Amino acid sequence: MLFAKKDVFISDQSGQKGVFEEISKTLLNEGLVKNEFLENLVMREKNFPTGIDLSVVDVEFPNVAIPHTEGEFVNVRRVIPIKLLKPIRFFNMIQPEQELKVSFMFMILNNDPEGQANVLAQIMQFLTTTSKEKLKEFFEMKETDEIYNFLNNNFE
Amino acid sequence: MIKVLAACGAGVNSSHQIKDALETEFKNRGYDLKADAVMVKDITADMIDNYDIFTPIAKTDLGFEPKIPVIDAGPILYRIPTMAKPVYDKIEAVIKEKGLK
Repeated sequence: MLFAKKDVFISDQSGQKGVFEEISKTLLNEGLVKNEFLENLVMREKNFPTGIDLSVVDVEFPNVAIPHTEGEFVNVRRVIPIKLLKPIRFFNMIQPEQELKVSFMFMILNNDPEGQANVLAQIMQFLTTTSKEKLKEFFEMKETDEIYNFLNNNFE
Repeated sequence: MIKVLAACGAGVNSSHQIKDALETEFKNRGYDLKADAVMVKDITADMIDNYDIFTPIAKTDLGFEPKIPVIDAGPILYRIPTMAKPVYDKIEAVIKEKGLK
């Protein structure tokens, strides 16, 4: 299972640093990531940004980001959904000079890149094949249980 | 065999998705293509010489000028055929132009 009910977050942080620190601390306490996770997450995002422009999928969708590190800093294979109440500035993964306001993060913890289906491919599949109406509703959700149930029912 | 080097920051997610997508697409197009997925920081001039085409996610500074054709493959990540096709077509054009097989 890619998601865990207790590991769905809603954050009102207003910057990347704040939200990375907040989530990393919880993940570290739960033993899902290693001590070096936060430092590497921040560095990787700076050098290789992970914002994804969803306006090319639908102009009404907010943008997302898929922050992650190398597999050696995590202990599991899981996706951590994080709803951002205040949109946070990221740079575009495929056009790194372009700034994006991001409203939802799918933080990827992946200690086994070769195994099973590709996690990023599953996320992109979800974002590009779920119906527009349902996905718009999803991006408005503000309860962790609601977000968890939706992802569980709509992820392949 | 056509050898492609895919790369991203962590060498985990994006580069593996591009590797899988290229191998599947080019098999369908009738080519014998194999891709490796690596971290950008691990790429050296010697290593890249073993490949025919380099497909990073976005424009990437390797610290040296690669001698092989470079094609940005980021749009493939969306899994939207109309976004991926131009990337595949560019790669196929290079394969034909260079007579790779």
